[in-house]
Amino acid sequence: MTQATTRTRTFVQALNEALDIAMARDPNVYMLGEDIGEMGGDFGVTRGLWAKYGDARVRDTPLSEAAIIGTSVGSAMLGMRPVAEIMFADFIGECYDQLVNNAAKMHYMFDGQFKAPIVVRTACGGGFGGGPHHSQSVEGWFLNVPGIVLVAPSTPADAKGLLLASIENDNPIIFLEHKALYRIKGEVPEGYYTTPLRKAAVARAGSDVTVVATMKLVHEALAAAAELEKEGVSVEVIDLRTIRPYDAETVLESVRKTGRAVVANEAPKIGGLAAELSATISEECFHDLKAPVARVAGLDTPIPFSLVLEKYILPGKEQVIAGIRSVMK
Amino acid sequence: MTLDIETLVDLYRDMWLIRAFEFGLEREFKKGNVPGMLHTGVGQEATQAALAAHLQASDAFFPDHRCHGINALAQEKHQGDGERIMAELFGRATGVCSGKGGSLHSANPKVGNFGDNAVEGSYMATVLGVALAYQMRGQPNVACCIIGDGTVGRGEFHESLNMAAIWKLPVLYACVNNGYAISMPVGKGHASADIVDLARGYGFPCEIVDGNDIEAAYDAVQRAIAHIRAGNGPYFLEFKTWRWQGLFSGEFRPPEEVKYWKEDRDPLKLAREKILAQGKLTAEDLERIEAEVKAEIEAWIDFAKASPMPDPAKATADVYVGWEVAA
Ligand SMILES: Cc1ncc(C[n+]2csc(CCOP(=O)(O)OP(=O)(O)O)c2C)c(N)n1
Ligand SMILES: [Mg+2]
Repeated sequence: MTQATTRTRTFVQALNEALDIAMARDPNVYMLGEDIGEMGGDFGVTRGLWAKYGDARVRDTPLSEAAIIGTSVGSAMLGMRPVAEIMFADFIGECYDQLVNNAAKMHYMFDGQFKAPIVVRTACGGGFGGGPHHSQSVEGWFLNVPGIVLVAPSTPADAKGLLLASIENDNPIIFLEHKALYRIKGEVPEGYYTTPLRKAAVARAGSDVTVVATMKLVHEALAAAAELEKEGVSVEVIDLRTIRPYDAETVLESVRKTGRAVVANEAPKIGGLAAELSATISEECFHDLKAPVARVAGLDTPIPFSLVLEKYILPGKEQVIAGIRSVMK
Repeated sequence: MTLDIETLVDLYRDMWLIRAFEFGLEREFKKGNVPGMLHTGVGQEATQAALAAHLQASDAFFPDHRCHGINALAQEKHQGDGERIMAELFGRATGVCSGKGGSLHSANPKVGNFGDNAVEGSYMATVLGVALAYQMRGQPNVACCIIGDGTVGRGEFHESLNMAAIWKLPVLYACVNNGYAISMPVGKGHASADIVDLARGYGFPCEIVDGNDIEAAYDAVQRAIAHIRAGNGPYFLEFKTWRWQGLFSGEFRPPEEVKYWKEDRDPLKLAREKILAQGKLTAEDLERIEAEVKAEIEAWIDFAKASPMPDPAKATADVYVGWEVAA
């Protein structure tokens, strides 16, 4: 990222810029999904692009998630670069077979003869009363799937750079957009740039404890770090950015330095990203650890509708602080 | 319609190649030389030969689990090395996917083979994208998916036909209705035993074809492909046929039915009668062709058996494009 000029942009605007730039740069890039055309998508991410690029490259589809991803994969087999929108990540089960058995395995099972360079943008995460079918964090559903890439930005600048990098990448990518981040603002470089995949960012440097987080929880972790700083605790926050395959090197280097690790992920604790990170850190850094790794994650429930119920089961700043305190004891 | 003798004999040879391939493979499978599962296309040779005859290397087809034959024909016709399909089924390094795919995942885009997906019919969705790429690039190619009658039970069937219709995509649906999905009779598993009844609502041409009559099948595929290449959108062909292979556990279909299809409706026997009726070739001529084809298949089997196994280290290659996976 070398661009000098930056502007303040929302996460949605940053994504929109990335799509616009990618469409302009490469005629093979096209988009498809429900209501992404004239309407600009449920969250406005594709706004204005239909008017600019037309029906053929900004394709409204029927409510057919398997066909959306199947179309993406088939066209990618011939070198197109589709960017599909699955309106809510919760609906990704409708196209799970296409992603898991087709996109993720195509390059492998056909011995490298095909590639499936698709990007599937999807809105995930809770905290707004969306209820059980509009709030889930789905990264765990794909963690055990070799061949899939999971990208999860937390800032507008990364949203743009990572989306451009994802569209250029030759692997099938699920691009997670946490709904709570859509309206946040940040400095975003002008024009074209990419942010490297599989490279975590040190969102805040510290020396006493490492918090590894993704998406919304990066912000919760930064807020926790600011609060604990007043107590003299120095917190390093790692923003994973790519969840699969993830940048273990940066994570482990940080934990070796601080000797303490908290992993924070919004999905249920069992079998998820927090479990994976915790296992790898324990395996690799056992002798450097001054305390067991703490997992901060959602409770083992579906996501309830009423905001007080939802708040009870989803992790936030308070849970991150509690996690940090538990490893500082 | 009556085909000229050259075309008919070529198709007869192709059909024999499929049958010899499958019988040879089955023999080796029973001896334990072929790993995994085996589904054969014996009885459905006319349908497969008709499709292979009209699809070009620049088109795309998605074969199903009974399509070793069409895979081998495409490989042989466009690249002259059908033995690499056999080698793939034996899990050898010389196979079209270097042994990574096997019977259920053989592919070679250079001959138009876009690969089987053993989650039956997943490519009913994938075929849309191949067709869309052709359409967006203005290429007059056809994307064909071969689906069994049972496979039609998936929801993707309807997503696919609908999207192909609204976008007028160049898709050929080749539905091989052999009467059963494993043990489930077609009329019991679907609201209609004629799959075209489920397809017609999408508004593009749908035809029932005698899938055991090579002339009828050849003619129908030609007609469908001409329609698609001319930019008229999708076409649906339902081939009525019957597979000789029963269940893994044995034959479950009524003896009269088995007898009818194997004796009265054998596509090779029917083709043979058509050829002899034209009076230009003798029974001996056809036997010579059969012997030649059988010898070729035995050579393919020998090639497969003599081929090296893949290097085990290749098991971690190509998980990601450009990124290594730890061994
Ligand atoms: C999605 C899916 N469901 C079930 C199976 C198991 N299965 C393999 S073949 C088969 C029957 C398919 O029947 P049909 O489509 O009529 O093909 P046929 O074997 O008769 O040629 C089934 C159920 C599968 N492979 N994929
Ligand atoms: Mg069947």
